[in-house]
Amino acid sequence: MNRTILSVRGLHVCFFLRGRTLHALRGIDLDVYEGESLAIVGESGSGKSVLNKNFIGLLDQNGRITEGSIRYYGMYDKMKHNPAGGTDEEGRPYCDLAKIARREDWLRIRGSEICMIPQDPMTSLNPLKTIGWQISEALMLHHGMKGQMAKDETLHILEEVRIDHPEKRYHQYPHELSGGMRQRIVIAIAIACQPKILICDEPTTALDVTIQAQVLELLKELKSKYNLTIIFITHDLGVVASIADRVAVMYAGDIVEIGMAEEIFYEPRHPYTWALLSSLPQLGQRGEELYAIKGTPPNLFTEIQGDAFAARNPHALKIDHLEQPPYFDVSPTHRARTWLLDERAPKVEPPPALKKLRTLGGAVHD
Amino acid sequence: MLQYLGKRVLRSILTLFIILCVVFILVRQMPIEGYFPNYQKMTEEQLKNGIHQMGLDQPMIVQLYGFFKNLILHGDLGTSRIYRNNVPVAEILAPKIPISVRLGALSILFSMLVGLPMGTLMAKYKGRFFDHLGTGFIVLIQAVPAAVYYLVIQLYGTELLHIPMLFKVNNPVSWVLPVFSMSLGNIAYYAMWLRRYMVDESNKDYVTLARIKGAGENRIMFRHVFRNAFVPMAQYLPTSFLNTVIGSIYIESLYSIPGMGGLLVDVIKKQDNAMIQAIVLLFATVGIIGLLLGDLMMVLLDPRISFTKKGGDR
Repeated sequence: MNRTILSVRGLHVCFFLRGRTLHALRGIDLDVYEGESLAIVGESGSGKSVLNKNFIGLLDQNGRITEGSIRYYGMYDKMKHNPAGGTDEEGRPYCDLAKIARREDWLRIRGSEICMIPQDPMTSLNPLKTIGWQISEALMLHHGMKGQMAKDETLHILEEVRIDHPEKRYHQYPHELSGGMRQRIVIAIAIACQPKILICDEPTTALDVTIQAQVLELLKELKSKYNLTIIFITHDLGVVASIADRVAVMYAGDIVEIGMAEEIFYEPRHPYTWALLSSLPQLGQRGEELYAIKGTPPNLFTEIQGDAFAARNPHALKIDHLEQPPYFDVSPTHRARTWLLDERAPKVEPPPALKKLRTLGGAVHD
Repeated sequence: MLQYLGKRVLRSILTLFIILCVVFILVRQMPIEGYFPNYQKMTEEQLKNGIHQMGLDQPMIVQLYGFFKNLILHGDLGTSRIYRNNVPVAEILAPKIPISVRLGALSILFSMLVGLPMGTLMAKYKGRFFDHLGTGFIVLIQAVPAAVYYLVIQLYGTELLHIPMLFKVNNPVSWVLPVFSMSLGNIAYYAMWLRRYMVDESNKDYVTLARIKGAGENRIMFRHVFRNAFVPMAQYLPTSFLNTVIGSIYIESLYSIPGMGGLLVDVIKKQDNAMIQAIVLLFATVGIIGLLLGDLMMVLLDPRISFTKKGGDR
């Protein structure tokens, strides 16, 4: 296992809305390892995006980290004299992203250390600036490149993300390019920043299926080339299967299960993961209705008692309604937050349909 | 682009022609009494003579032909008969135009120099003290009738700053108060719209990407948001442009400025046909040039707008 590059401990984030408090993240623990690709899955509103926005300091104005730490280990001792800097028990210097207060400090992290590819490439580029200008800007901001040097590097990056006729594209404007091309430009901008961690916020949702595959292929390639650590935010399990080393399943502002991709797909332990996987259309039986999780996620304005998924969980135990389960280790790399893993719990078998995933195996890791 | 411009200019000339025809015919529908201040005391003979002198007894089409023949072949705008007795229109307008234009141009320049930075800062400090201060100023300017603060400026400006009350072309100090008064409305206007467009722009996704890229707030405001917010501002250019020549009747009369302010209304009241036609021609030309400039500016600023592409042709 590689070294940890990002370590989140007990992270709580609240949003304050007209005098009410929305508890969006409820104690996240997460380690991200250098060079891996981690997928964070979960339905809309589970807190995937909120979690990742903390890493680049772009939480909405009314949101605040109320508790917890986010240790980023990529900057070595650059933050030695910063109040957010520090050294952990093993003597590794880190920067606590939860403690960064000044805008200038974020400017040293955003882009050059941690970068993000936003969801919609159609609106993410400045319509009045040329492609070349927008990529060069990143080069200028982080590497002080100017003039011909910046141009040469920009053309190189354009080739890198497989844009044809880079010289021509350099002078074009975003509206002259297709959606897939714009997504590549956005990726090119991220690459130009040379970050250590790249967060991809549903990078393929806005694209059609063929382009999706190309973009994922490109990301894989760039990841190994630049030794990127990639965090995917997605609710597309197909994307997860094709690219992720590890998977974290989020529900109602908490990570309910995390493990290697194979472990999550083949040996899921949390009832929510079962439900999520069961809703894969590939598992549907001809002539039968596709599986859908009943009910709605809990209201995060109110304090949650016990397991957040209990109300929608057909296998819920009595204790699920009373007390939040701790993490139970399934393997050194796999743990889940469900009372079903407690030794006193009754034996509950995962839905039989999930067994098909094993036989479909090829489809998962193609 | 050039082809488009050519087409645009031709169409503008056609528009001018139509405007002139309409105005020409309209002013000739006014009652004959209006042409003669002492109509009551005039005899039948005198009236006939007067109308013949003005050429009003000829058929409309002949009058129209004569007007355009003089205008195009000799650049002759006609002669004022009532506003001033028997003086060529060109001679009356010639000294007035440069004064109004200079006054107006200075005022536009000043309003941009103040209004645009003000709008930018208001957007940058949205919801903070400066924004509230600016909003207060804008509301004040928009809500209080202009004549009121014009008077206040004249009163206190002349009293406290010892600026001469009457306008003299050669005395630069005497320009200060009129230009300042003229600018206030535009400052509020520019600041209000620029703030609004900049706030709109700063909520867009590309600004988030710029932030993710690691661009600082100042860089985002000036290099990304400002230009994008400025594009829709281009539509205000024609009106501003037109206002420079029309002049302000209030301000020009407050400071006794011999400009164009209120001139059109004046000559319509006096039914001085030649003057009306000439002034309409002037205003329409300036208005059309303003529109053209506004469109050109949009094209220069926004690569998505194109004159030459199909469908881009308006």
